[in-house]
Parts: sequence; C-alpha cells; structure tokens
Amino acid sequence: MTDLLLAIAFLALLVLYITWTAGRLDRLHARVDAAEAALDAALVRRAAAARAVAAHLPPGAQADRLSAAADAALEAGEAHREQVENDLSRALRRIVPGLAPRPVLAELETATTRVLLARSFHNAAVADTRVIRLRRMPRALRLAGHRSLPQFFEIDDTYDTPSTSASE
Amino acid sequence: MRVGIACPYTWDVPGGVQAHVRDLADHLLGLGHEVSVLTPVDDPDAPDLPLYVVPAGRAVPVPYNGSVARLVFGPLSLTRTRRWLREGGFDVLHVHEPIVPSVSMLATFAASGPIVATFHHASTRSRALQVFGTALQPALEKITGRIAVSPAARRIVVEHLGGDAVLIPNGVDVARFMGADPLPGRSATSTVVFLGRIDEGRKGLAVLLEALPELVRLVPDVRLLIAGPGDAEDVRAAVPPSLRDRVEILGLVSEQDKPRVFASGQVYCAPNTHGESFGIVLVEAMATGTPVVASDLEAFRRVLEDGRAGVLVPVGDAGALAEALGELLGDAPRRQALSTVALEAVQAYDWSTVARQVVEVYETVAAMAPAAVHVDVDPELESMAVDLAAVDGTDDDAGRLVATLRRWLSERRAAVGALGDRTRS
Repeated sequence: MTDLLLAIAFLALLVLYITWTAGRLDRLHARVDAAEAALDAALVRRAAAARAVAAHLPPGAQADRLSAAADAALEAGEAHREQVENDLSRALRRIVPGLAPRPVLAELETATTRVLLARSFHNAAVADTRVIRLRRMPRALRLAGHRSLPQFFEIDDTYDTPSTSASE
Repeated sequence: MRVGIACPYTWDVPGGVQAHVRDLADHLLGLGHEVSVLTPVDDPDAPDLPLYVVPAGRAVPVPYNGSVARLVFGPLSLTRTRRWLREGGFDVLHVHEPIVPSVSMLATFAASGPIVATFHHASTRSRALQVFGTALQPALEKITGRIAVSPAARRIVVEHLGGDAVLIPNGVDVARFMGADPLPGRSATSTVVFLGRIDEGRKGLAVLLEALPELVRLVPDVRLLIAGPGDAEDVRAAVPPSLRDRVEILGLVSEQDKPRVFASGQVYCAPNTHGESFGIVLVEAMATGTPVVASDLEAFRRVLEDGRAGVLVPVGDAGALAEALGELLGDAPRRQALSTVALEAVQAYDWSTVARQVVEVYETVAAMAPAAVHVDVDPELESMAVDLAAVDGTDDDAGRLVATLRRWLSERRAAVGALGDRTRS
C-alpha cells in the first residue's frame, strides 16, 4: 500500500514537472514570437525612415545607394534578412547629417534605436528559450512539438547618433 | 504610461540603487508618466517620503557579499507585492536588481506581462547569481527587456544569464553641477580635489598621497582638498609632516555641497585602483567644468572618451600621477580645452537623455507583451483549492480527496497533450 502511494506521489510529481516545463516552454515561445514581431516592426520602421531620408538627399550616388538598400530591406525574405539589414546599416552610417530635414532625421534616429532595443530583447528571448529547448527531457518528450529552434538575429546596428553612442 | 518600479533596498538608507530609482521616478513624473515605487521602508511615516513610494515593510539586515544587505522576504511581503501589482494596473513593471532576494524578485515571480529589469551589480563574484542562477531562471525568463548600467554589469548578465542586455548609463543631473562656485572663502588655484571614502583602498587615496612630494616639487603652491567619510587621522599620518599643511580634509560632504567641492579644485583626481563599474563621480566632476585626472580603468576610460575628455594615468602609478597633475595645473589652455570637451560629453549622462532612453525601452517592451502587467492565477490550482475547501469533515472526505486528486491528475495529462498539439499546429 505504501509502495503504491509512493509510486502515485512520484508519478504526480513527475507529471507536474513535465506539465510545468511544457507550460514554461509555451510561454517562452510566445515571448519569442512577440519579440520577433516587434523586431520585424522595428526593422520595417527603420527601412521606411531610411527611404524618407533618401528622398530628401540631393540626387546622386549616396541617395541611390540608400534608397536601394532601404527597398531591399523592405522586400527581403527570411533567408537573407540579416545580410540585407546589414547593408542598410552600412548605407545609413555613410549619410551626412544636415542634408535631410531635422524631423526626418529624428525619426530615423528613433527607428534605429528601436532596432537596437528590439534586437537585444529578441536575442535574450531566443537565448532563454534555447536553454530549455536543448535540455534532455524536453527534447526526448518533444515538448516543443515541431517548432523549429529559435535563431538569434545578428546584425551590426550601431549607428553613431548622440543617443545611441551613449548607450553603446 | 503607468510604470511600477520595484526597488530592492531600503528606501531611507543611502545607496546608489535607491538614488537611481528616486531620480528615475522623478524624471518619469516630469515626462508626464504615472509612477509607483514598491520598496522596503524603515520609517513609513517620514515626512519626506515621496507620494509615489509604497512601503513593502521593514527589511532584515543579512550579511551578504562582504557587506550587510537589507532584505525583504516572506509571505507578508509577497502578499503586499501581489496587491501592489494587482491594484497598480501598470503598463510596464520595472524591477531593479531582480537577483537580490527582495521585492524586485518577488514582483518578478508574481507578475506577467511587460517586465523590464535593470542590473546595477558589477562584481564578478556575484554569489547570488552563482548559487541561485538556475533556480531563478524561471522567474528571470519572464523579463521582457534587460538593461545594464555599465559594460561590466552587462558582462555579468550575459555570462550568468545568457542573451543580451542594452546599456543605459546611470543618470546625472548635469544642471545641478554646472557652473557651481567654490566653497565659501576658497579659491581653486593650484588645488587638487579628491572625493570618495578615504578609508577604502580601492578609491586610491594612498596613490595620490604617495604622489604628493613629487607634485609639490613640480607645483610648489599645490594644495590637496580631500572630501569623503573615513578617519582623517590615518590620512594625516600618511603625509610627511612638512607637507601636512597642504592637505585639508573636509570629511563627509552633503549631496548639496558636492558640486561646490568639485568647483573648489583646479583639477579633480580619481586615482582608483579597481572595482569601479561606472564612474558617476567623474561625470559629476566633469559637469562642474573641473578637468579630471583619473586612473586608466575601463569604466573611466569610457566616461573620459579614451582621454579626450580628461587625462588618464596608469593605475597605481604615483610617479605618472604626479607628473600628469603637475602638467595640467601648469597648463590653463589645456584645462580649458578638456573642460569644454567634458561638458559636451556629460550630456549623454544627463537624466533628460537617460530617462528618454528608459522610456524607449518601456515602449519597446510594452509592444512585445500581449497584455499589461498582471498577477498570474493558476486556474487549475484555484479550482483545486475550491474543491478541497468543500471537504467538510463528513465520512467520505477521503473518497472526495482521492477523486479530486485523480481528476486533477487527468487534467494535467490532458494539458500536456493540449500543449503538444498547440505547439505542433
């Protein structure tokens, strides 16, 4: 009788632990999804701001380059996103302040800061999720179902403005 | 926005984190946000307690990391924390030092929704993280956005918790320091100022005193003005008798007098040997326009922009320190140039800049969480509590208990299946 009770207690604890981990993983995936959406929105906002700046630059190679980079970023699919966003970062670093009106540049500055924040928070969410995903029990029981392992988003988003230079 | 801030350390005990939270709360209010701060308070009836402070009870002193930490834990604090979260209706919860066993940690455990955490701690021997890191992980992974106040603090976060943290420096009220006058009846001429605990070795006063004889040789009328708590007699004993009349020890100075202390020197000297994560005192000195000579520590190098906004000297090198101080005291144009660059550099640390960056984090984080801050209630556990409450002492209690547990177990199993289906779809 005691053995049976012990076995039941153990089973209950085990089930509790597995459901708790599954719930935890579910919350983490929700966090990654939300972070991904926010990062996507931030990148789109940056590309749109870059396009607005390009439209105000005097015609020439610099304006062409920036608007091409912004268009490529807006149209990029999942596969090449990092590379295309990196190209945009590089093009942005070359623009000379003062050539576009202040509000347009201010929006670009805000948009770039948002990319920096969204990317950092996204990668933290990915890191937290991967720690649990890569443990033995969740892998063996396939607690994550068919969800692919979340991937980090790595681009160089440093951009020399007063606000970001203070935070980088 | 409605912002709930949790501060782990006792509000009415002076400290860096408390000062940071107070300044942040004031500036957020100034920007038109609503703020509530949950923190341990020793004297909830103190007349100068800000209206936004919600006391979480008295803290218990516990020896920790070589000093005494005052912590709050237990069912009463947890109840208060949960009530604060429930009644606050916050758009964002901002916890400071969530790894310290106090209200920040309790709030992180209890809340769901957009949570921002600021990490101040920079010691590499963070015992709390080493010992409790894994146990705290389930709570820490609820944090939506992490902020570190210095590169050192950020490194600790990344090493122990993985992932990333954005850097937002500590804020300084630049306007409070700008254009300060010297202390009454004093001229700054040929005066070097030191400010910091005089009995704490890492502040490096010993290096400055060691440099004094050589400095006197270079600048015959040089004077040393030392401000900070500690035993003045020990300092006097370390100075050769013939030079004692050049050293003046002010002792502890008030926050209000601090700008005037910096302004009472022609140069501010920070000979720290190690352990500085940020260098807020440098930013304060720079804001008064007093040029800075500081040890070449990572944190100082950053604030002084690799030597553009102040002079860097090798750590612990008294000879180099004397030389640098002597040179700067004899070179008015260079002092002026450093002061101009420094005044520009400190703008990045002004609270107006810093608070704006924090608000940007709030906005980003609020967009990342589906609901505002709320307290989790496990519906299954609640229903189980109701069922168990129905056990009223009649004969078939045991039977009901078993039935309840059996049902609960099968619900749990179904929940696992449902979760699996949801993630697979």
